[in-house]
Amino acid sequence: MVTPHECLTCADVAVEAVVVEVRGDTAVVEVDGGREEVGVELVAPVAPGERLICHAGIAIARAAA
Amino acid sequence: MKYVDEYRDGALAQKLAREAASLVSPGETVRIMEVCGGHTHAIAKHGVEDLLPPEVEYLHGPGCPVCVIPMGRVDDAISLAERPEVTLTTFGDMLRVPGGKGTLLEAKARGADVRMVYSPLDALAIAQAEPDREVVFLAIGFETTAPATAVTLLRAREAGTRNFAAFCNHVTIVPPLRAILDTPETRIDAFIAPGHVSTVIGTAPYEFIPAEYGKQVVVAAFEPIDVLEATAMILRQRAAGRCEVENQYTRVVRREGNPRALEAIEETMEPRETFEWRGLGSIPWSALKLRPSFAQWDAEARFELPQVRVEDPKACQCGEVLVGSIKPWECKVFGTACTPERPIGTCMVSAEGACAAYYSYGRTAKRRGRPADTALRA
Repeated sequence: MVTPHECLTCADVAVEAVVVEVRGDTAVVEVDGGREEVGVELVAPVAPGERLICHAGIAIARAAA
Repeated sequence: MKYVDEYRDGALAQKLAREAASLVSPGETVRIMEVCGGHTHAIAKHGVEDLLPPEVEYLHGPGCPVCVIPMGRVDDAISLAERPEVTLTTFGDMLRVPGGKGTLLEAKARGADVRMVYSPLDALAIAQAEPDREVVFLAIGFETTAPATAVTLLRAREAGTRNFAAFCNHVTIVPPLRAILDTPETRIDAFIAPGHVSTVIGTAPYEFIPAEYGKQVVVAAFEPIDVLEATAMILRQRAAGRCEVENQYTRVVRREGNPRALEAIEETMEPRETFEWRGLGSIPWSALKLRPSFAQWDAEARFELPQVRVEDPKACQCGEVLVGSIKPWECKVFGTACTPERPIGTCMVSAEGACAAYYSYGRTAKRRGRPADTALRA
């Protein structure tokens, strides 16, 4: 969730998310207790439990546990 | 990073600030440009600069993509939005950026079909759900956001979605850094480089800065402890006579970045010969456009755009703020004619802009807020 003091365009609000479920190029991830779908083709293969850095609906990197 | 608390730990912040104080000589000035708006925001929100000795000064760089978009490109987006067949989609911050002809939000109020999205993939989904609309995504951002646009274009091609297009305004981080370094009045001693851009491009592209310009670079994440640690790393390098690129954000950033993300950008986009940056002027090869093989999805190829260059408002000093030559509160209209509610310049529009960050957190006092400069050395 983007608060009024954060700018979605800016990369700094990229968030760490935990993979819950993988469906092809899309994964359901958990962020701050909420769930959303992100594209994972740039970091695939991913498995449930892995941590990803997501921005604008795409996972751009893996994060160390 | 499991909990945010560990990156906002007051005791650790004090320890890093004391170390920073021990690493500077009284009276010297170390000017550190934090390139990314996210760092600017963390510094203003958490009072990071006030913790540090007065010898350390942050300059706020051009790493806010919303802040550097020229007014003419906003007008082009408005002209797209005003076409009856077009649904224009973009990130929320872009809706409030004034061009010469007002904002996208005002165009929406006049009846244009303008919609906010969180991802270009959402824009593609709108195109697929509404095949009678021409859905254009106003793409903006550095190398962190470009992969999302690239993936969306690749998916549009794969799905054969032809009523989707991108109006590409993606920019790249290295050319403006070089432009700033080549500016004769540059007062920068070192850089804190953007963490999430670096997840994509890696740390290697910054290596010319120590090699050619003799200035330290530390890639950092965005919490206050991250910024303080990066500052301490810069000061340790200076104290030890070292000058190199270091990585504070090791939990995510690799030297090589994310090769697959770079490939996706490379497949869909190519460097633009020149692009105008607000406050910095035209910088060669500093932006991306869609490749001819993606002309079908390129709004610039498919729609006629006015492409008129619009001068910035005379009162606005965003340009000087963006290269670090003045502080936000030194701008003539800061906090008076220009506020987040009625912004004149883009640095006040985007929440990550230096002016908005200073204004929002009350850093308008025209001085550093820490009461006792000597306390840290005690």
